[in-house]
Amino acid sequence: MRVPGARTRTHTPNWPTRCPGISSLTMDPECSQLLPALCAVLADPRQPMADDTCLEKLLDWFKTITEAGSSLLLLQENPCLVELLCHMLKPQDLSSRVLSFSLRLTGVLAAQEDCFQYLQQGELLPKLFGEAGPLGGAAWTSPAVRSGWIQGLRSLAQHASALHFLAHCGAVDTIFSLQEDSSLFVASAAGQLLVHILGLSMQGPAGGPPSLQAGDWPACAQKIVGHIEESLRATATPQITQALNVLTTTFGHCHNPWTQVLWVQLSPLVAGLLEKDPIPAAHSLVDLLLSVARPQALRAQAFAVLLQPLACVFKAMAQDPGPSGVPDGTVGGSMTAGVPLPSKAACVGLLCRSLAHLELLLPLPQRPCPWPQAPLLGAAVTLLQLCGGSARPACDMGRHLCTLLLGCVRVQRAALDFLGALSDGTGPRELVTQVFAVLLEYLRSPDSSPTVLKKAFQATFRWLLNSPKTPGCWDLDPHALLFLRDLLPVLQKRLCSPCWEVRDSSLEFLTQMTRHWGGQAGFRHALLASEVPKLTEQLLRDPESYVRASAVTAMGQLSSQGLCVPPAGPEHQGGQQKSLLVELLHILSTDSEGFPRRAVMQVFTQWLRDSHADVAGDTEQFVAGVLQVASQDLDWEVRAQGLELALVFLEQTLGQPRSHCPHAVTPPVEAPVGPLAQALQPLCRVRLFDFAFRALFDCDRPVAQKSCDLLLFLRAQTASSSSLQESRSSPDVASVEAALQRWQAGDQAQPLGDLEPEVVLAVVRSLDLEGLRGALAESSDHVEKSPQSLLQDMLATVGVLGENEADCY
Amino acid sequence: MPEIRVTPLGAGQDVGRSCILVSIAGKNVMLDCGMHMGFNDDRRFPDFSYITRNGRLTDFLDCVIISHFHLDHCGALPYFSEMVGYDGPIYMTHPTQAICPILLEDYRKIAVDKKGEANFFTSQMIKDCMKKVVAVHLHQTVQVDDELEIKAYYAGHVLGAAMFQIKVGSESVVYTGDYNMTPDRHLGAAWIDKCRPNLLITESTYATTIRDSKRCRERDFLKKVHEAVEHGGKVLIPVFALGRAQELCILLETFWERMNLKAPIYFSTGLTEKANHYYKLFITWTNQKIRKTFVQRNMFEFKHIKAFDRAFADNPGPMVVFATPGMLHAGQSLQIFRKWAGNEKNMVIMPGYCVQGTVGHKILSGQRKLEMEGRQVLEVKMQVEYMSFSAHADAKGIMQLVGQAEPESVLLVHGEAKKMEFLKQKIEQEFRVNCYMPANGETVTLPTSPSIPVGISLGLLKREMAQGLLPDAKKPRLLHGTLIMKDSNFRLVSSEQALKELGLAEHQLRFTCRVHLHDPRKEQETAMRVYSHLKSVLKDHCVQHLPDGSVTVESILIQAAAHSEDPGTKVLLVSWTYQDEELGSYLTSLLKKGLPQAPS
Repeated sequence: MRVPGARTRTHTPNWPTRCPGISSLTMDPECSQLLPALCAVLADPRQPMADDTCLEKLLDWFKTITEAGSSLLLLQENPCLVELLCHMLKPQDLSSRVLSFSLRLTGVLAAQEDCFQYLQQGELLPKLFGEAGPLGGAAWTSPAVRSGWIQGLRSLAQHASALHFLAHCGAVDTIFSLQEDSSLFVASAAGQLLVHILGLSMQGPAGGPPSLQAGDWPACAQKIVGHIEESLRATATPQITQALNVLTTTFGHCHNPWTQVLWVQLSPLVAGLLEKDPIPAAHSLVDLLLSVARPQALRAQAFAVLLQPLACVFKAMAQDPGPSGVPDGTVGGSMTAGVPLPSKAACVGLLCRSLAHLELLLPLPQRPCPWPQAPLLGAAVTLLQLCGGSARPACDMGRHLCTLLLGCVRVQRAALDFLGALSDGTGPRELVTQVFAVLLEYLRSPDSSPTVLKKAFQATFRWLLNSPKTPGCWDLDPHALLFLRDLLPVLQKRLCSPCWEVRDSSLEFLTQMTRHWGGQAGFRHALLASEVPKLTEQLLRDPESYVRASAVTAMGQLSSQGLCVPPAGPEHQGGQQKSLLVELLHILSTDSEGFPRRAVMQVFTQWLRDSHADVAGDTEQFVAGVLQVASQDLDWEVRAQGLELALVFLEQTLGQPRSHCPHAVTPPVEAPVGPLAQALQPLCRVRLFDFAFRALFDCDRPVAQKSCDLLLFLRAQTASSSSLQESRSSPDVASVEAALQRWQAGDQAQPLGDLEPEVVLAVVRSLDLEGLRGALAESSDHVEKSPQSLLQDMLATVGVLGENEADCY
Repeated sequence: MPEIRVTPLGAGQDVGRSCILVSIAGKNVMLDCGMHMGFNDDRRFPDFSYITRNGRLTDFLDCVIISHFHLDHCGALPYFSEMVGYDGPIYMTHPTQAICPILLEDYRKIAVDKKGEANFFTSQMIKDCMKKVVAVHLHQTVQVDDELEIKAYYAGHVLGAAMFQIKVGSESVVYTGDYNMTPDRHLGAAWIDKCRPNLLITESTYATTIRDSKRCRERDFLKKVHEAVEHGGKVLIPVFALGRAQELCILLETFWERMNLKAPIYFSTGLTEKANHYYKLFITWTNQKIRKTFVQRNMFEFKHIKAFDRAFADNPGPMVVFATPGMLHAGQSLQIFRKWAGNEKNMVIMPGYCVQGTVGHKILSGQRKLEMEGRQVLEVKMQVEYMSFSAHADAKGIMQLVGQAEPESVLLVHGEAKKMEFLKQKIEQEFRVNCYMPANGETVTLPTSPSIPVGISLGLLKREMAQGLLPDAKKPRLLHGTLIMKDSNFRLVSSEQALKELGLAEHQLRFTCRVHLHDPRKEQETAMRVYSHLKSVLKDHCVQHLPDGSVTVESILIQAAAHSEDPGTKVLLVSWTYQDEELGSYLTSLLKKGLPQAPS
């Protein structure tokens, strides 16, 4: 179908120029022209919408327009919009989606007071949102319509007139009832709307501060508060939940004086809920209490509640005579045992929740002081021992806990996370020893699930990082080194696990450790004495690509630190390192999966940056070899990483490290006259420009961008150098430019051949790189997602749907 | 009240993205975690805040199940697990586990291409998410925890697609994901046993369609490709890396072989090898024909289909190219399209659905002048064809599956409301079961009557066995014993054992009843008459006349006494233990009818 008003533009033959894009902030004439036809389609119930996202995107566009300009003007300039809204009032078989859209659109428009008045004149608002509208009709059975109604009101409730309207059209009562809607979405939106209206009405008509006497509050606010009070007194849990959720949102959103008045008024009712047995809507109640937990007294109480499940664990284990010597529950003072932990599900749930909350609390400045670090550490260790089966409880309750928690992955996960988080604080030496012992137990245990093992590795790393150090020395302390001696055999075993997840997590852990302590004698000694480097090397040929990628990273790190397996005899002198380079190159050129190839490129780039011994030997040969393979790679990230490596080489060759931001203006160096051409020679020899120019037109945007950045950097570096012969008009330049033209058109069959530095510079200077960079900075779908494109798509779909029915994957 | 609750967060009366929450016997399971390809912001993901309102995701959910690798079923997974925060297990089949990260990476690339994409996951997140996956085999019962178990069934649709049965105790739900009831070129048909779940949650994409035979569509496809190639045109088929692409490749390969065609066929981005690798690895998941011929010739080792190089697009003469991505929204397929669009000899065949905001959507809706980057206008002169090869069950197939599984009720998802309405009525009429179709955010609640497991003591069991009957699951029988409820456990034991365990003394409980008989004779004679009568009536029972004059039938004791006021009437005292309640009541009713006349 030929779309009326579609733009026809002449083809721009040359280099891409900065595309101004289609301004979505105002309605451009083309869109205005398409709008009447679209409104007509929307109003026609026989025309189904092809794609359920269209109306959402259309509304997004209207929101952008109205946020930037006058809604009234928009309506006056596009009368078809009001016609569409009026059309919704006619009794007919309307699509619920279009009706919902219209309600939301009305709200967006009426958010501006003058536009609200304009729509009021036509009685459009009461007709759409009042009893006479969809509210009373069959359409109301659709949750989409109810949701549209609420969202429409939510948008328009921005000013005093709207508040007046809401109070008088009976909307508030409807919103009350919608809190109990069968749709979660509608019910939740209704609650949010109530909070919004309450806040709006408390802003006062003149914007002045509201009265601190609840009795003097505006009628609308009083009505809502009355409703909340009534709900809090109700016997039905859903009603109480709704009221609590509304309060939580209210207190979470604003901390005005009036909210404090409200809390004072309602807290007795809330406290009344706590006295019921069982406590109704417990979860919502917790949320509310957390959101109002401002007074110190309440915070202390809340903390005590959080500690209770752990205190129970302590109590159960307190009589433990075993060698682990778990500290007594009373040590912390604040950790006093209370209710016993009942059934398995409740016990696990309570413990997980308690641990998760404590973990969240840990880094906060307002966490309770003093913080019972040692007892908490003890509790985490005990829990892990209980779950792992190494605890030896002496009393019945302890044994009961043991049976409940043995092998419980949920608690293991939560406790390991918490234990890791606790590493930021200190602990008595004896307890820290226990921490390492329990971590080792988990790393060793064949029962640890891959997720648990991963968390155990993470926690171990955090504890090693924070283990006490000798001042001025970054090496591991003697205790940690002793631990390391036990750890490495475990790591060795885990690297051979049949589970790829375990092998991968082990390699990630090894990489982290090597990165931190690879230079330290103690660590190096222990690692080299183990089989770990050899096993890591073997994992380069793992059947799982993720593991191969992690092995590449780990080997790269080991090699950087000189921690690869030492050659077996004098005949292998230096052979090992070489073979790693060859092995990685082999992976880069042959691995069928992208992840290992990407990892190789990252290692190579790092090696080049660090002037790794193998690379430094013959850098040019290395770079040429890597770029040749990377430029042909099918994975865009490998190509992009190849350009990153090229950039590092470029920087090193020109002797000018790139400023942190590639786009920053770097003052051009006064490059010595003769050496520039010379300096560029190696770049030409490694065929860096062939790759860069080709990448400029890569079908994957990030690659093209990277290349653009590289060439811009080169141009900036050589800007001041006028010494090179101006070879703009030489036949070489012409042929390169012609080749680039062809490439841009998509024909990349022919290589550029050998390029001379002069030609490269001339071409780089002639390219509109800024324009290209601007074009690439746009989203790849910026044309398709423009408002005009959206309108055209919606119109084009009309009549086609019959043939191509809505489908999916 | 025990119940099953289902709330779709996605796929409720739409086909955007599947994400369905199921609560069954206190366990919470999330079925699929899909992404909507039509949005570039957070709206592409299901709104998980509705779950987090009930606590942390990890604490609330017991597990997540992914039915297959399509992004509208698994695309939100890394966001869900690594950004929202879910540490629990994620279940999927082995092929899905292998292919999922490839498609997620593919989509991540598109997201990176589109600037302004916020909140998108990284490669590391995809990997970390995949580490939480537990892969399952078909028909293997996997124990998620002590009570919750799941089982996968073959679903057709795409490689590795599965339907899942979720079971807690005697309650169960089956979720179909997307499925196909007719076999295609490389996959078999969906199958499930008569598992009689409480609820069957089924997709309903083609709820009102009876699809034409696949053969017709295939013939049509081949004819179009053939014609275009014969006329020297180039044919572009935009596809997603895995799925339909493989089926169409097999189709073309066979046709080329049969017709001895020479025009080259290419498959872009090196995915053929990767796809081959997976199809070889998971050969058991393909259909019978492919499995059978695999030994002689691997269907996925193509003779005519070669890897594509960017330079080939400019080669003269006809060719067919499969290129990714499938909606012409970026990358290679779009690049080739732009190059070939101007020639009316060329053809683009869209084998699947395209969301708004893509070039694929535009050309399918008939737009022929497309604005391209840099304000260029591309005139599309090439032929545009749409052929849906998506493999979903049609209305007939859905009814067939309902018939196979015999659920107590059905719930429709992944379809359009109007079509669902029609199918709902059909299902309700034909199978006499309730059928639901909740919109997103709406909760369907089904009451259930769970059976509670009771342990039986060995002693009691032995006693029953001694009676000669072996236990048979299909023939329930009555068993007497004492039910002990302790520590939320139920045990059935003999009453003696119960007394012993609970330290209680035994009480004898007897029922007594008086029956008035008109009989002027002496008590002993009346008793004798009663004895003779019962002896003749109750031939299978042990009837005795005791020396003290009383009569017994099993534990029932009958004594005759004189009436205090009426000498012509005798009173029969009948007494029995509760174990013989049935016989006792029978005897009293028998005696109340009177005794037969004594022979004179």
